[in-house]
Amino acid sequence: MNNMSWSRYILILVVFVLVAGGVGVRMVSIQNIPAAQTILESSKKLVGVTQTIYPERGSIYDAQGRLLAGNETVYEVGLDLRSIAQPETIASVVSSVLGLDYSTTLVYAKTEAIDDEKLYIVLDSFVDKEKIAQLELIEEDYKNRTIGRNETRPSLEGLIWTPYNKRSYPEGDMGANMLGFYSFLDRVDGRGYYGVEESYNDLLAGTPKQVYTPFDPQKITSGDDIPPGASLVLTFDREIQAMVEQQLAEAIEWSGAESGTILVYNPEDGSIIAMATTPRMDPNYYWTQGEVFTGNTPFNRPVSETYEPGSVFKVLTMASALDAGAVKPETVFTDTGSIMVGGTTITNWNYGAWGDQDMTGCMQHSLNVCLSWIAMQLGADRFYTYLKNFGFDRNTGIDLGGESHWPLKLPGDNQWYEVDLATNSFGQGISVTPIQMAMAIGAVANEGRMMAPHIVKAIVIDGHQYEINPVIVGNPIKAETAETLTRMLVTSLEEESSIALVEGYTVAGKTGTAEIPTPFGYTSSVTNTSFVGWGPAEDPKFLVYVWLEKPTISIWGSEVAAPVFSKVVQNLVVLMDIPPDQIRLQASAEDK
Amino acid sequence: MNMKTKNIIQAYRQAPWRMQLQWIGIFLLILMSIAVIAGVYLSLSGKAAITGRRIQSLEYQVSALELQINDLASQLAYASSARVMSERAAALNMVQRDPAQAIYLEVPGYSPESFSLAPAPTVDNIPSPSILPEFTASLWDWLADTLSNLPGTAQGSQEAQP
Repeated sequence: MNNMSWSRYILILVVFVLVAGGVGVRMVSIQNIPAAQTILESSKKLVGVTQTIYPERGSIYDAQGRLLAGNETVYEVGLDLRSIAQPETIASVVSSVLGLDYSTTLVYAKTEAIDDEKLYIVLDSFVDKEKIAQLELIEEDYKNRTIGRNETRPSLEGLIWTPYNKRSYPEGDMGANMLGFYSFLDRVDGRGYYGVEESYNDLLAGTPKQVYTPFDPQKITSGDDIPPGASLVLTFDREIQAMVEQQLAEAIEWSGAESGTILVYNPEDGSIIAMATTPRMDPNYYWTQGEVFTGNTPFNRPVSETYEPGSVFKVLTMASALDAGAVKPETVFTDTGSIMVGGTTITNWNYGAWGDQDMTGCMQHSLNVCLSWIAMQLGADRFYTYLKNFGFDRNTGIDLGGESHWPLKLPGDNQWYEVDLATNSFGQGISVTPIQMAMAIGAVANEGRMMAPHIVKAIVIDGHQYEINPVIVGNPIKAETAETLTRMLVTSLEEESSIALVEGYTVAGKTGTAEIPTPFGYTSSVTNTSFVGWGPAEDPKFLVYVWLEKPTISIWGSEVAAPVFSKVVQNLVVLMDIPPDQIRLQASAEDK
Repeated sequence: MNMKTKNIIQAYRQAPWRMQLQWIGIFLLILMSIAVIAGVYLSLSGKAAITGRRIQSLEYQVSALELQINDLASQLAYASSARVMSERAAALNMVQRDPAQAIYLEVPGYSPESFSLAPAPTVDNIPSPSILPEFTASLWDWLADTLSNLPGTAQGSQEAQP
C-alpha cells in the first residue's frame, strides 16, 4: 500500500471522528438546553401517567364499634371533550337531572379538546347516587331505544361520572364537639378541624402515594396497595352520649340557661365516656360553623372555654389542706360570717355566720369564709403548688383539638393580690376549663392518682388494633386524703339531703355557684352553676361534671346543676351496668 | 480419502443447484427460527398485555368495591343511628323505661367483651432454625443412635412385644 492510500484512509478517519464528535457534542448540548426537561416530561406523558392517590380517610367508631365518621360515595360528573358526540343531548339531560344551566353546559360540551391543555371539564361535584342512577337509566334507555331509519340515536357519549369518597357523619350533631369535622369540599387540601378529626388528622389521612400507570399494557403490574388512613376507636359510648345530650337539652330548657356542658369521665383511666355541650353543629354541613358558633363561642366548651367555677373548686382546696396536714376532718372552724384577707372582706354566700363547723360542715354548707381560712392555714406557696400539681397551670393534653387554659396567677405575679388566695380557694378569680376540673377532681375519686384525659381508646393501623394505655399524670394527693375527702363529701351530700343524691347509690359531690366577672365587677344576678360528683363512692366508675351557664330559674348550683347530675347518674348507672350498692356489695361479699 | 469419495465431492461441487439448495435451506432454517421466536414472543407479549389489562381491570374493581363497602357501612350507620333508632322505637309505640325500675340479675361467669375492630398485633411465630443431628451429634452419639436403631435391638425391633 503506497503513501497516497494511507493519507486517504487517514482523511476518511478524521472525517468520521469529526462527525462522531460533532454528534456527541450536539447530544450533550441538547440534553442541557432549558427545553430538554420539557421534552423529557412530554415524552413521559406518551408512555404513562403519574397520579397522586389519596388513601381513604380512616373511620371513627365509638367504644362499641358503632360508626361515627365514615365515607360515603358521591360522584364527579364531567365531560371528556374528545369523545362528545351530541352536545345538545348532554346539555339537556344534565340540566334536567343535575339542575345545571342548559346554556352553560352546552358551551362546555361544544368546547374543542386541546391536547395536554383541555381534555376534561368538571360539570358538578358531590353528586349523590340517586342522580347518577337517573343518568344511568337514561343512558340505558338511549342504548335500547328503537330508532327509525332517518333518526339519530341519542347518546351521552362524552359524559362521564367518577365515584369518590365523601366524609360522612351518620350520627349528625351527636358528639360533634368531640369528633370535629373534615373539610371534605376541598378535595385536595381538605383536613380535620377540631376534635379528633384535628388532633389525629395525619393518622386518619394516611400517606398519599404517587402511582405510575404505563399505557403499555405489557408493563402494567399489580400496583402497591395504598393502605387507608388509620381508624380510631373512641372511649365514648354512643348510647350514653345520646342520653347525656338529651339530659343537657332538657336541663337547658328547664333552667333557661344560655348554654351547658356535661362531662362524664372515668377517673380510673382518664377516658371520656360522654361530653355534651351546646351549641353543636352537624359536621355533615360544616360550612354552617359561622352561623352556629357566633362571636367568641368555642367549638367545644369543655376543653376550650375557661370560666370561674365557684364552689366546686373547694374540693381541691380541701384536698390540698387535708393532704398537707393543714387541717383535719374534725378541725373546727368558728364561722363569724366574714374574714378579712388582704384588705378585702370575704363573706359567705348568704352573708350569714354559721358558728362552729368541722371541715365536713364547711363543705356541706359551702362556706367561703371557712375555705378562705383553710387556704390561709395552708399558705400561698403550698396552695399554689398543689394547684400546679393538679394541672391548673397547663393544658390537660387531651387528644381533642382546640384545648386552651387560663394562666394561673401566682404570688409574685403583677396581677396577683393577697385576696386572691382567699377568692381562689372557693373558685373565684381563677379560670379553668371543665376538662381541667374533671382531671383534677378525678384524682380525689381515684385514690390520689390523676389520669390523663383521653378520647381515643385504640388505633387501627394495617389491620391491627393498638390499644392506648392510660397514663398517670401525677399523684397530687395521697390515697388516704382522697379516701377521707370522698367520705366527707358523701356525708355532706347525705346530711343536707341534696337533690343530687341517687337512690340506691352512694355518690360524693359538691355544688358550685360562681359570680360572673364583667368589666364593671362581679354580678350576682347571673351565675355559672356547676356540680361535680362521682360514684359509686367506694369504687368510682364515673365522674360527672355539670356546668349550666346563666340559668334563669335559679342562680344556685344546688338547685340547678345538682338535679341534673342526679338525673344523668340515674340513667348512667343503667347504661354502664352498675347495679345499686346493695346488690353490688352483696355480690362482692359472695365472691369473697 | 479414496477415489470414490473424491468423485462424489467433486460431482456435488460441480452442481450449482445443490449449492443454491444448501444456501436456501440454511436461509429458510434461519427464517423459520426467527418466525418461531417471533411467534412465541408475540404470543407471550399478547398474553402479558391481556394479563396487564386484567390486572388493571381488577384493580378498578377493587377500588369500586372498597368505595361500595364504605358506602354500605355508612348507609348502615345512618339506618341504625341513635336518632333513627329512637324514631323507630317511638313509631313502634315503645316507651323509655324508668331507670329506677331496672332489675339487675347476676349472670355467673358473664363478663361483657370489649369491642375490638381488629386483632391485636402479635410477634410473628418465626420457626426456630432446626439443625440436623448430623451437625450436632458427636461420633459417639451417632454410633450409639445407629446401634440402637438396628433391627433386632429393643428400640429398632419391629416385632410386637407380648
